[in-house]
Amino acid sequence: MTSPILHVEDLKATYGPVQVLHGIDFTVFPKEIVVVLGANGAGKTTTLRSISGMIQTSGRIELNGEETRNLTPSEIVRRGVAHVPQGRGTFPELTVEENLKVGAFIRTDKDIKIDIDTCYENYPVLYERKTQMAGSLSGGEQQMLAVSRALMSRPQLLLMDEPSLGLAPQIVEDLFTRFVAINREQETTMLIVEQNAQLALDIANRGYVLESGRISVEGKAEELINDDAIRRAYLGA
Amino acid sequence: MASKIQISNGTRTYRNSRIVMWACFVISLLLIAFAYVDVGTISIGSNNYNLSLIRLNKAIAYTIAILGLQVVIGYTGQIALGQSFFFGTGAYISAWLIADHSWPFLVTLLIVIPSCFIIGMVLGLPALRIRGLYLALLTFGLAAVFPSIVKLDKLYTYTGGAGGKLTSNYKFIAPAWLPFDEVAQALQKLPILGGFFGDGPLSNREESRLWKFILFCVIAGICFWLVYNLIHSRPGRAMRAIRDNETSAAVSGINLAITKTLSFGVASALGGVGGAIYVAEVGIASPDDFSSLVAIYLIVGLVVGGVGTLPGAVLGGLIYALVPDWASSTQSISFVPQRWLQGPTGSLILGLLLIILTLFLPGGMVTGWRKLKNRLKPTEVRAS
Amino acid sequence: MDLFLQRVVDAITNGSTYALIAVAMVLIFKATTLINFAQGEQAMLGAFAVLQLWNWGIPMWGAVIIGMLFSGILAAGLERAFIRKFDPADHLPLVIITLGLFLVINAVAAIIWRFDPQSFPQLFPSGNAFTYNNVRLSWYSIFAFGSCVLVLFVLQTLLTRTKIGLAFRAVSSNLESSRLSGIKIGPTLQFGWALAAAAGTLGASIYAANPVLQIEPSMMLRALIFSVTAAALGGLDSLWGALIGGLTIGFVQSVVVQYIPFIPNEMSLSAAVVVLLIVLTLRPSGVLGTRAVERV
Ligand SMILES: Nc1ncnc2c1ncn2[C@@H]1O[C@H](COP(=O)(O)OP(=O)(O)OP(=O)(O)O)[C@@H](O)[C@H]1O
Ligand SMILES: [Mg+2]
Repeated sequence: MTSPILHVEDLKATYGPVQVLHGIDFTVFPKEIVVVLGANGAGKTTTLRSISGMIQTSGRIELNGEETRNLTPSEIVRRGVAHVPQGRGTFPELTVEENLKVGAFIRTDKDIKIDIDTCYENYPVLYERKTQMAGSLSGGEQQMLAVSRALMSRPQLLLMDEPSLGLAPQIVEDLFTRFVAINREQETTMLIVEQNAQLALDIANRGYVLESGRISVEGKAEELINDDAIRRAYLGA
Repeated sequence: MASKIQISNGTRTYRNSRIVMWACFVISLLLIAFAYVDVGTISIGSNNYNLSLIRLNKAIAYTIAILGLQVVIGYTGQIALGQSFFFGTGAYISAWLIADHSWPFLVTLLIVIPSCFIIGMVLGLPALRIRGLYLALLTFGLAAVFPSIVKLDKLYTYTGGAGGKLTSNYKFIAPAWLPFDEVAQALQKLPILGGFFGDGPLSNREESRLWKFILFCVIAGICFWLVYNLIHSRPGRAMRAIRDNETSAAVSGINLAITKTLSFGVASALGGVGGAIYVAEVGIASPDDFSSLVAIYLIVGLVVGGVGTLPGAVLGGLIYALVPDWASSTQSISFVPQRWLQGPTGSLILGLLLIILTLFLPGGMVTGWRKLKNRLKPTEVRAS
Repeated sequence: MDLFLQRVVDAITNGSTYALIAVAMVLIFKATTLINFAQGEQAMLGAFAVLQLWNWGIPMWGAVIIGMLFSGILAAGLERAFIRKFDPADHLPLVIITLGLFLVINAVAAIIWRFDPQSFPQLFPSGNAFTYNNVRLSWYSIFAFGSCVLVLFVLQTLLTRTKIGLAFRAVSSNLESSRLSGIKIGPTLQFGWALAAAAGTLGASIYAANPVLQIEPSMMLRALIFSVTAAALGGLDSLWGALIGGLTIGFVQSVVVQYIPFIPNEMSLSAAVVVLLIVLTLRPSGVLGTRAVERV
């Protein structure tokens, strides 16, 4: 099998005196879509923040076989990780176009313009609003912008924290369809944290379930969809 | 059963040890008073440093003003920088009553305290809407305008304009029943130490100075006692709750408006008392003694001693009173160019202290000392 | 009427210099929601550096530019050494640090250059450009206002057209997403500090170049309050708001104080503080603040 793009081993994280992650292990392989499920407060956001270097952790985090646990977020971004944070992924006081430019901050090549146009092709609404402040977009438009912003750095690995949060079902479906397209066309590996387990598992290759800072279940997406416990807990069936 | 007896036993011993400690403190204050009733000098190299009761009295005035800052910043967490405004207000009210109405000093406090309390509460009202940095800005502005207010022509009859208001008509006369002379002579007869206490009977001037110092110490003591009780009472707990987290304080039923205005009022009243003492000591209320620079120095006093510690106020007051004076009496230090000793060196040192302590010892000196003590005797601390 | 017009002209002169210091505060506030109490003193130090360079024989405007660079570099150093390690959300230590810098810079300047007022190079042509009846518009006023507008345009361009400017605005807008986009927060804020100090130095130099004023270490004490009020009027986060705030406060200082009989002249500072109080109480986001982006 190919070597993993992301390998996490015995990851522990604490906020002050409270331990939130109690040693979790998981792996993401190139071109995969992996979904992380879990209840509120399970530690999903914390996991993603650990990978981007936003918080101090212990354990091992390897990107393409290299230890990155002690790197700063800006170094990790430069190694090909992009992160769409939960809720507020945009820069409200910047225009849509400027948001995309900030996404390309680490790039120095000439193709930035082309990538911005690609974003506009994918999301024509963004083109219509390109000189408008991001803060004035609707929630769904903001989420599209946040994802596009993250893609502007041409990441190998895209971390997304509840991209469906607060969006209408139709919009979520569109968004997820785009994720699949991006995954195919740009070969971007994705690690998606989701509450909407049904949709996420539909597009994912594999999934992990996080429970109180520990991984309780892992497996292929098809298996997880049919797992009784998971159906009861996350699929409302 | 046994354990119960032990606890009460421990408490009693504890209380006794506290009483002994406080007695020692009062006695050493008195000894200091008698030793420095004449100007005492400490010589280091070719530099002479004065340590007189005048300096110490100023230190007491600053201490009380800083105590006010402890209440509003240290315990309530409101960044109010304008203490010099209330320091000045108290000073001017007291000076006006003494100079124009021949009131005795102590009686002026009966007006100073309530008026500063009320002015503080009223000026604190905007703080119910204005928070954090905005409050810092506004209170700093308040401090900046005080001198120009007292210089107003309209207020000339009350404030004496730019020249200030003299209070030298009032003399502190020690009550005859106080055995100052006897004590002084007894101290002078002490073996070895006697030399520190001068010789011969005290002059009238010296007696009045002593009396002033003791009086101010008593006032300061009362202020500390009141503040100590305040912060350990219900409103005090409410203040600390606001400092730690305003939202959760409000949610848990604390009345933010009342608690904050109370805290502003208390702080201002303390500032006023400090100002009154300051004027009583220097004999004149003049506009530039209450500039925004003074507001910053008082913050230095707050931080150096330790934000949110009562003893820190004493340390802060001493540092504010002594450092600039001593800096200007330093004539020469090897390796330091003359020029650097002649300008506002005291201000430089206080500024550096402020920065260095905030960077390296955020709790101030008192907290630093407590930490050190804890590290040296870990078991004892745990036992108590 | 003539007197009134004259006062308006004065308002523009004073207002422009306040606006430059206000802009400096706005730059720092935008990015870190920190009010730098030492901003005025940093500007004063910069102006003294300009004076020193000029005394050493460097041409006037060369001295100004080197002075701006000097204070920019110094500010970047101060940010690195004293500001960066603190949590921006915890205001008290930051306020205390900037107050400490205030004292230190003021004292150092006084030790080096003494408290005696010294005359500053005349940056602008002297005399009046224009006289109408008794209203005089001096060249100084025109150039002071012009430089202020120019500086705002330069800053605006820098912030909207350059990469570091974009990074700076991104950090002001959303710290977390900025980090996740690979922006190095520290150096970006340092850039803001440097820019602010350079603008402040220019402001203080123009202030000191006023033919009726001289340079001395405490010259910014009063100006700081006016500038802070100007910045607050503009909502503390808007560059052009700072200019309008500066002009307004200049207007309050020279016109209102002149025409309301029961407010004597010394009260201009108090008038500014009252304006500050009203603004902060009634509209904490300023009259021109952009804090809340409205949905269109
Ligand atoms: N900055 C913080 N300080 C203290 N505790 C925190 C902090 N951030 C998160 N926590 C705690 O850590 C735990 C895990 O939080 P995390 O945000 O990772 O959960 P999550 O799985 O993303 O939840 P959600 O689905 O609600 O987003 C929670 O109990 C939360 O209260
Ligand atoms: Mg989360």
